[in-house]
Amino acid sequence: MNTENLSKLKSRFVSREVDKELILVPLTGNIAKMNEMFTLNETAKLIWENMDKVANEEALTILITDEFEVSHEIASADVSAFIRHLETML
Amino acid sequence: MDQNDSNHAIFLNIADFIIQIKTDTEFTPEPGYELFLTDDKQTTDFVVNCKAGIPADIFAGKKPVFEAENEQQKFYDIYRHNEGLGFVIYNQQQRNTIQQIALLDKEFRNWTIYASDIAEFNPLRYPMGPIIMHYMTIKTNSVMMHASCAFDGQRGRMFSGFSGVGKSTMSRIWAEAGNTIINDDRLIIRELENKFFVYNTPMYYKDIPKKAPLNAVYLIHHSPENKIQKLKGALAASRTMAFCIQNNYDQNFVAERLDFFVRLAAAVDIYDLGFVPNASVIEFIKAHE
Repeated sequence: MNTENLSKLKSRFVSREVDKELILVPLTGNIAKMNEMFTLNETAKLIWENMDKVANEEALTILITDEFEVSHEIASADVSAFIRHLETML
Repeated sequence: MDQNDSNHAIFLNIADFIIQIKTDTEFTPEPGYELFLTDDKQTTDFVVNCKAGIPADIFAGKKPVFEAENEQQKFYDIYRHNEGLGFVIYNQQQRNTIQQIALLDKEFRNWTIYASDIAEFNPLRYPMGPIIMHYMTIKTNSVMMHASCAFDGQRGRMFSGFSGVGKSTMSRIWAEAGNTIINDDRLIIRELENKFFVYNTPMYYKDIPKKAPLNAVYLIHHSPENKIQKLKGALAASRTMAFCIQNNYDQNFVAERLDFFVRLAAAVDIYDLGFVPNASVIEFIKAHE
């Protein structure tokens, strides 16, 4: 997913930070998903905060490997899983 | 809105909001609303003006911003209309048959409701009544919850969760122990001067208006043993908000709701509670307060 699509995806959520944790609530047009929301762990929070500032998912993966002691493979899987999870909430 | 079009008016007090309903012909609300009728006409918070005849093509060419529909029922569609909102309300016995068209002004204070058959007109006919109550809570530091609440004269304890988690069972247990049940299914929470209060709303059966302070929230589920965990911060706010009645198509509504639940989580104790459906849960809860 490129930066435009990542930004568009992010704009479909409302977020609030509480005690360094983030709550995400999706904007939806139906009742089926209107009670879905979730709080983010440290890795997910870093992805969320940067997903509209980088070129693509690969750049997010590099951010994760730079910040945490984790392999590129695992970081890539985490980024992909997080982005796909956001998509399923809409 | 033209304040002079309708000849008859009734006033309801729901959650300490005064609602004026104006109709061209005399109108008697359903039994569930009867005990919410009030003579207090001094401070009208919301006005519902009722009209005969459904305007044609009022939302023609527009796409709804929200569709309240599941496999079994079609409830309502919401459109952006002028600077406010427009609602198409569907008949619950005949799918796709329009029951009412409702317009809400940009301040969310004035409703105009159109119905085809004014002789049998009931402006609060389900789902219109709950929709009016839900939109009362937007822009007024209030929320509507799937929840029950027991009040012992000192503390208001709210039990929240979706259908089947035990809200009615919990109500029965606390009622048998002498508590007042504010309601066992749907409540309005209002924040007034930094304190939170719980109110019942009109249901399909008669009940008097009730109010209690909100001291604790329990997010409940059945369990082989009583167990409790205090929730804090983001988790407490988000898990409680999950049981709020909400139309999440508008960024401002969601942001306002989120801020409400963050304040609630900071002011009121919120717990995850697994419970055994008998009186032991009362002492268990009190021991952990």
